Amino acid sequence: MPTRIGEVIEASTAEFVAQCYELHRPPPLGSLVRTREGEVEVYGVVSHAQTQGIEPGRRPIARGREEAVEEDIYRASPQLARLLRTDFSALVVGHRDGERIRHYLPPRPAMLHGFVHVCERAEVAEFSQSLDFLSILVGACGQGSGDELVAAAVRQAAAAHGDPRSFLVRAGKELAVLLGGDSQRLGIILRRIKG
Amino acid sequence: MPIDLVRLALQVEGLAAELKAGERKAGERLESAVAALWAQADALEQFRARLAASRTSWLVAGLVDGLGGRVSPPPCPGEFTVVATDGSHIDVDRHSSVRCCLINIGSAVLRYGESPGAELVAVPQLLFGDELIIADPSAPGGGERVEGALLGLVRGVAECDALAALLEGQPVERPVLGLIDGSLILWGLAGRDFEEQKRFVREELLDRRYLDALERMRVRSGRGPCVPASYISYPRSADVVNALRVGLCPHDVADCDRYCAGNRERGCDAVSGVCDADLFAVLLMPGQRSEAFVSGSRFMQRHYGEHQICFFYLKLEEEVARVEVPRWVVDGGLLDLVHCLVLDQCRRGLGYPVALQEAHEQAVVTAACREQFWGLMEGVLAEGGVALGGSAKRMSKRTRWV
Repeated sequence: MPTRIGEVIEASTAEFVAQCYELHRPPPLGSLVRTREGEVEVYGVVSHAQTQGIEPGRRPIARGREEAVEEDIYRASPQLARLLRTDFSALVVGHRDGERIRHYLPPRPAMLHGFVHVCERAEVAEFSQSLDFLSILVGACGQGSGDELVAAAVRQAAAAHGDPRSFLVRAGKELAVLLGGDSQRLGIILRRIKG
Repeated sequence: MPIDLVRLALQVEGLAAELKAGERKAGERLESAVAALWAQADALEQFRARLAASRTSWLVAGLVDGLGGRVSPPPCPGEFTVVATDGSHIDVDRHSSVRCCLINIGSAVLRYGESPGAELVAVPQLLFGDELIIADPSAPGGGERVEGALLGLVRGVAECDALAALLEGQPVERPVLGLIDGSLILWGLAGRDFEEQKRFVREELLDRRYLDALERMRVRSGRGPCVPASYISYPRSADVVNALRVGLCPHDVADCDRYCAGNRERGCDAVSGVCDADLFAVLLMPGQRSEAFVSGSRFMQRHYGEHQICFFYLKLEEEVARVEVPRWVVDGGLLDLVHCLVLDQCRRGLGYPVALQEAHEQAVVTAACREQFWGLMEGVLAEGGVALGGSAKRMSKRTRWV
């Protein structure tokens, strides 16, 4: 997968939305992505993705009744690739200002049309040395799908570390602190982290 | 204010009753038209001679080959491209201090086969200054303003020109169909005005620009299979039925002015009100096309030279469409290619050619686009130190209040 996967089309202090260059190829839920604002590199965790018609008034319709496989629909209607789009949202979890990674919000939102890259393994490992980004995720996300996101982010980060198990133990302890007495929610997240 | 639907409903009921009452008579006339078609098809040479001798007040189709042939679609080539253009415009606003207008030409290039692909583009063109006048060479300083109906014609020519450019750019080894919406005959230039005092308008738009585009397509067609066509959905034309009227005429030579001037009952009224699409909806099976015919338009015959316009009807699942092509497409044996590719486009587009649909989507100018256009004009002109003024009426429409 190429690391440059899309472009910022909406940006606020705490979140940005990017359009993917390739249809149906958003980065995985919970993965770490990077864009920039001037000299500052802005990090986000993919929190949501969707594919839909490029124009609000034109809803996709079912086309495949006569086709053997889904790919044939796109072969028979090559315009679809131009009329559909895949977008994803990312919660901002930190930034890099010069050499230092900071696990809190950057001073300004990401730049519109800034390129978005999927972070490679080494960069994910470097970013998740500190687990401070978890507090932003836990704070930003409510229960339900928010718990899914927290668990997915931990699983994605663990895969980048040489010793995933010890990372998971560390992340579990951090979550226990962040969620305080909410043992039910903690239990739900931990079960999803274990997979 | 919204429409008063209660008052309207009563009027619609009246319309429904009238339509219902006309149904039986329409059915009888359609049966007469079908019978007339088979009768003339059985005596084709005689019919051809009668058509040639006739002097009618209607648009009468000319025969290319037969009359009642039903042609089944040939298979599509494995690899092909379909190109379409469509346009829309923002007219000159006479309530604005700046005289300008916008033509937006949308295009779709769809490639089918092993490496499918699509290009969807819209190109806006702002017309201002001299571009807003079609100059009269015989009257220095004189000319015709490009606005209203004339702007629509200029746009139609631009669509055809853009189609020619796209077709010229397609690889010659791949069969390519070029589509525009509507007729290939520029009916807006067919009036007497454009033969006399506004002749220069017709010479500029048709003779120089439009026929030049058709000629470029013809040249491109000589280098590799390339067929331009126009597509008319739900056509109400009656050229073929009018030809049948000639066959039904009880006089030796059909001469409307001589025998039937005034409102007296005519011998050909048995097929009155039937249009070609009704006729071919009965005659054709889905996917089949009619024979090709030549348009009987005198305007077209006089000015289109070697690009005489022919047409055929194509039966689809939902309707009968009319497809127009230049004569050289028919003579070049390329009608099969038009037939199968237009049909394929309609099947892919749920009844309407998908390339035309996408070209239209690119071109369409919505009310919101209109606002953005004038907003952009205001902003850019203000930056250049030019104020965009306008009438009080324009202002009142833009800022509605109670």
